[in-house]
Amino acid sequence: MKLKDCHNFEDFRKLAKKKLPSPIFHYIDGGADDEVTLNRNTSSFNDYDLVPSVLNDVSNIDMSTTVLGEKIDFPLFPAATAMHRLYHHEGERASAKAAEKMGTIFGTSTMGTVSIEEIAKVNKGPKLFQLYIHKDRGLTDNLLERCKKAGFSSMCLTVDTVVAGNRERDRRTGFTTPPKLTLGSLLSFALHPGWTINNLIHEKFKLANIVHMTQKGTSIDKSVIDYINEQFDPAMNWKDAEYCVKKWNGPFALKGVMSVEDAKKAIDIGCTAIMISNHGGRQLDGSRAPFDQLAEIVDAVGDKIEVILDGGVRRGTHVLKALCIGAKACSFGKGYLFALAAGGQKGVEKILENMKTEINRDMKLMGCKNLGELNRSKLIHRK
Amino acid sequence: MNLKDCHNFSDFKKLAKKKLPSPIFHYIDGGADDEITLNRNTSSFNDVDLVPNVLRGVEDVDLSTTIFGKKIDLPFYCASTALQRLFHYDGERAVGKAAQKFNTMFGVSALSTVSVEEIASLIDTPKMFQFYFHKDRGLNDAVLERVKAAKFDVMALTVDTITGGNRERDLRTGFTSPPKLTLSSLFSFASKPMWGINYLTKGKFELPHLQDHVSEGTNIATSIGDYFSTMLDQSMNWKDAEKLCSQWGGHFALKGIMSVEDAKRAVDIGCSGIMVSNHGGRQLDGSRSPFDQLAAIVDAVGDKMDVICEGGIQRGTHILKALSIGAKACSGGRLYLYALAGAGQAGVERALSQYRAEIERDMKLMGCNKISDLNRNNLRYRKI
Ligand SMILES: Cc1cc2nc3c(=O)[nH]c(=O)nc-3n(C[C@H](O)[C@H](O)[C@H](O)COP(=O)(O)O)c2cc1C
Ligand SMILES: Cc1cc2nc3c(=O)[nH]c(=O)nc-3n(C[C@H](O)[C@H](O)[C@H](O)COP(=O)(O)O)c2cc1C
Repeated sequence: MKLKDCHNFEDFRKLAKKKLPSPIFHYIDGGADDEVTLNRNTSSFNDYDLVPSVLNDVSNIDMSTTVLGEKIDFPLFPAATAMHRLYHHEGERASAKAAEKMGTIFGTSTMGTVSIEEIAKVNKGPKLFQLYIHKDRGLTDNLLERCKKAGFSSMCLTVDTVVAGNRERDRRTGFTTPPKLTLGSLLSFALHPGWTINNLIHEKFKLANIVHMTQKGTSIDKSVIDYINEQFDPAMNWKDAEYCVKKWNGPFALKGVMSVEDAKKAIDIGCTAIMISNHGGRQLDGSRAPFDQLAEIVDAVGDKIEVILDGGVRRGTHVLKALCIGAKACSFGKGYLFALAAGGQKGVEKILENMKTEINRDMKLMGCKNLGELNRSKLIHRK
Repeated sequence: MNLKDCHNFSDFKKLAKKKLPSPIFHYIDGGADDEITLNRNTSSFNDVDLVPNVLRGVEDVDLSTTIFGKKIDLPFYCASTALQRLFHYDGERAVGKAAQKFNTMFGVSALSTVSVEEIASLIDTPKMFQFYFHKDRGLNDAVLERVKAAKFDVMALTVDTITGGNRERDLRTGFTSPPKLTLSSLFSFASKPMWGINYLTKGKFELPHLQDHVSEGTNIATSIGDYFSTMLDQSMNWKDAEKLCSQWGGHFALKGIMSVEDAKRAVDIGCSGIMVSNHGGRQLDGSRSPFDQLAAIVDAVGDKMDVICEGGIQRGTHILKALSIGAKACSGGRLYLYALAGAGQAGVERALSQYRAEIERDMKLMGCNKISDLNRNNLRYRKI
């Protein structure tokens, strides 16, 4: 299997599985507890059907939209995710370049492995930084200031990770600290020499944004779970979020809002957008899927704040369905991460290209010329 | 597979399967008829989703709740289950001590294999005795007096076993009377020698609450189904329950209430709580799952008595969902029984500590600091 054989999410996933040592593959692929929410995130889209209109002259389709103050070519962007250099030795450089080339926002995580400054060098397009509030509050200020200076266009604060989710695959594969080298995981690293060699010969793995601030940032012989539980501040509250909004003084999103009550508070503290998200099913299993919750949120706050759907998106039609309900745009994580693992920058470009093509084709088949024409009359809930 | 590899319910189940002779494993694991209710008990939780709140400041989370007048540190407890020394030679001693360590309620079955007196001497945390109403009234009175003397905190009368459920796995494996030693069950006992050795050497197997009264009490050469059908009083009615309740004179619960009408009558006869339960799917197959029925019961009597949601629980989030609907606490059997079979007291402790960790993590992810923060606003039913 090669990159050119990757036509959809499942293909990229398969190729990533082939290329990655299994603990790393399962770190991307897995969810919390029984993965009920992980699975529902995608299956929720299938409870709704699209109803096309025909004979509408669809020779020209405009897929562009404006989110977080930036115009993007199509309504999907890569969500901020941790540690890209684990998946491909070029890491965030590859994904950042791909996003710029495809004309969409690039999201990068506090837990990134290429620094804010370097990303700004390789990506001149719209960039979003995803903030985690650490117990060390000095780190928050430092990150906000560096992003401003580096020219990031928007900021997002993740609020669904006050404690790490129960990712049982990681416990089994030994994606923990110190790297639990079980016979199985050792074997898996040995069986994926390409990954292992690249990992060894390229620069040392580090959490580039926070390496100077914390001891913990210097290596990955700390599990992500332990890192989150030791470093992130569970006392984080609305005052802290408001502080960040004010300090950033630009387009700001809260990532991981699920209740209407919280969506309203996000407006009160001056946010530009909320990302309806359960962290891709990696945190609270049994929690509602973003798509299931979308209508309720849009009805309450859709006219006052940008609503971005994050989680479970695998197909162009999923994006269309979310936009029909009233989302401004969607973001996705696993899709482009598998593509990154499968083929570096080329891989990410390819999956973004695929999704863009799907959205374009699906718009035509729906008889819609621009995103504004997508609305709830085009969507029926299957009883 | 070892105890340290057990991260969740199904891991413990695998370990138990490895350790137990198969008739005993299937006695725990199985349900009635086609096991539709057994399975629904768990899957019902997946038709409802949690909606978290964020930015609530959740560094400290209080998991305690008060049921039957007793404060317990966890919002769930160990339901009373029979014959625990069949599962592990320490039996109720192991479960009781583990429950004490976590300061939660320990339910002791009428068919327990360690006496109430011994349990009372072992643990001083809240204890519940589960009562079966026998035809022999002398036996009933004697048991009640013993439990009273042992200073148990709660008495729960089980009302869903008026006759034995149709547990077909037991018919097949030979968990019947006299032990039907089929070729495969013989093989299974022989292939788990440690279980056999412990069973034979760690003290005689007894049913201490029954043995002075009936010959059936002295060994398990009668099946549980036969016991229910021959020894329990099928004429048991609301008057009997009411009489027992006043005879006990303390916190009294009915275990196995499913209808709103019965829940209201439980209030009328003076109960302080009910367990919404179908006996873990072991009695009437096709009956409604506790979680599916919970809202209706809570709406009717939730302000007048403690409503316990019992059965099907395999995750911390299941407990959170039941509490959000209005249960005062949850209880479960298999959630600690596989762990008991797998590794005795250490196993039960590991299971309880994992559930505690899950609930604590899930509370934080829900943005809740205490159990009473959970409510129906946090839940959405999936459209069907
Ligand atoms: C491997 C991986 C790492 C992630 N790291 C982060 C992170 O550092 N910060 C964050 O806010 N979200 C993180 N996420 C969540 C994503 O931003 C996004 O919410 C999620 O992947 C969306 O679901 P999807 O994967 O179904 O598209 C991560 C997700 C994955 C799969
Ligand atoms: C092996 C086993 C033995 C049980 N014995 C009794 C018993 O003696 N008395 C009783 O009232 N309930 C008994 N139960 C039912 C439990 O108290 C409880 O209702 C049930 O286990 C809850 O379902 P769960 O196993 O899915 O948590 C038993 C259950 C099991 C699995």
